[in-house]
Amino acid sequence: MRKTGFLYDERFLLHQTGPEHPESPERLLAIYRELEDADAGLLSRLIRIKARRAEQRWIEIVHSIKLIFRFEEACSWGMKELDHPDNKICRESFETAMLAVGGILDTVDLMMKGEIDNAFCAVRPPGHHAEVNRVMGFCYFNNVAIAARYLRDKWKVQRIGIVDFDVHHGNGTQNIFEDDPSVFYYSIHEHPSFAYPGTGREFEKGSGEGYGFTLNSPVLPGQGDTEYKGLLQRDLFAAFGWFKPEVILVSAGFDAHIDDDMSDIKLSTECFSWIMENIVGMADEYSSGRVISILEGGYAVDRLAELVRNHIEILLGD
Amino acid sequence: MFIDKSMTRKVITIRPEAGIIEAREKMDKHNIRHLPVVDEDNNVLGIISDRDIRSALPSVFSASLEEPAERERILGLTVGDVMTEDMITFTPHDTLTDALLMMHKTKKGAFPIVDWDGKLKGIISIRDLIRAFINVMGLDQPGTLLCLVAEDKVGQMKRIVDAITEEGISIGSILTARHWDEGKRAVFPYLLTVNVTRVKRKLQDMGYTLLDPMEWSLEGLPVI
Repeated sequence: MRKTGFLYDERFLLHQTGPEHPESPERLLAIYRELEDADAGLLSRLIRIKARRAEQRWIEIVHSIKLIFRFEEACSWGMKELDHPDNKICRESFETAMLAVGGILDTVDLMMKGEIDNAFCAVRPPGHHAEVNRVMGFCYFNNVAIAARYLRDKWKVQRIGIVDFDVHHGNGTQNIFEDDPSVFYYSIHEHPSFAYPGTGREFEKGSGEGYGFTLNSPVLPGQGDTEYKGLLQRDLFAAFGWFKPEVILVSAGFDAHIDDDMSDIKLSTECFSWIMENIVGMADEYSSGRVISILEGGYAVDRLAELVRNHIEILLGD
Repeated sequence: MFIDKSMTRKVITIRPEAGIIEAREKMDKHNIRHLPVVDEDNNVLGIISDRDIRSALPSVFSASLEEPAERERILGLTVGDVMTEDMITFTPHDTLTDALLMMHKTKKGAFPIVDWDGKLKGIISIRDLIRAFINVMGLDQPGTLLCLVAEDKVGQMKRIVDAITEEGISIGSILTARHWDEGKRAVFPYLLTVNVTRVKRKLQDMGYTLLDPMEWSLEGLPVI
């Protein structure tokens, strides 16, 4: 059994998106309840990590000060959305996003100090759509991108591999690292001609020095396990085989599940487990088991909870 | 959709007395394939393309460049000698579809845009049209494509647009196409949101079928 960290904090529920918004606090509540109810004291086998407010300078390693201030101001003025109706906010949204990042940075520290082997971060709001100067698609701060830069700046990690299996392409993460050869960004998602946000085409491979360090596997609507397994083997496994990441970060979105009507991809519960088993396997092979998985999407609440439980059990191992 | 909103205004031009080697260098430098040819008063005299220049030069496999006389002749060729004088032009108030259809018909890659006095105002090329098309389809903004099947009768589009608008969702574009079933139409609204779950359910409740995009293929269409 590995030492698996679990970042969760009730304050992540304070980011209220209003009725009928799919990115709701209920998502995290369902995950927490599922873990509480799980057999064999699953929750007690995890190393619990609480949130902490991030220092602003760590947000600034990815985002513009302008974006940070606008987000903070919009919340303190009581605005209901930021830049687009998708991005609902409340007075607590900014603080919630700061807490999520702080908790993730602590998680990184714990892993790099060897106090935990890997971790799952059940955070809100999600992050992979957020760009340097743009919030979008329910995302404000790019959690996974900040974690990657923090690993580089504080822990001097030279090669960081990001795997993004949210059903939507992580345009923010790709954009932030497109010319950076120290971060390999891999994403598998529904084809951008059909699904949000319309990026993540096969020909997007990074730019400048980072060319070849971005890799996208678009999947056509209606497809499922067979196509995912084939593409992951052909693209991701091969890429990490030569890139050999020292740390793996996961943008874990669970909205490609067949029961999640946010997309037209039809993954089974088993396939999500297969994906995570392989990511953990690659971490064992290349990165001394170091994986931090960060929650992105997943909107079929009951299914999400079950998928996250499986995901965490795989991180724990036997 | 008038040309003047989409044309390139800062036009790289050339004089008729310039040599064709200079013209080619200018194209290479600016990564373009067409130069309008103008006189000192900015009157358009013709257009020269990279293909016009290539046709005027001997093949790289021929030895003729080695011969001093042939070399002299080529170096002496001017833009005026090889340009197309009998060119197609548009005015800024012609439309993008005029230019699109003319390109399709003539297989030309660019047209000079001139005012009523024949002075150069801009150029419209395939690249400008591609950019305009991306813009019209809303593809430069993040969004989700819905694929619906509707009865091919009056008022369907209004119902669909109303339903989407009631959800507070902006529409990037809507394309429609013939469906393989008689009396049906496929409708593709491009919605500027990630949040499509509710609107999808709503449209289904209204009786629209969500088309499985993978069942949608050109082979399924009736032959004209």
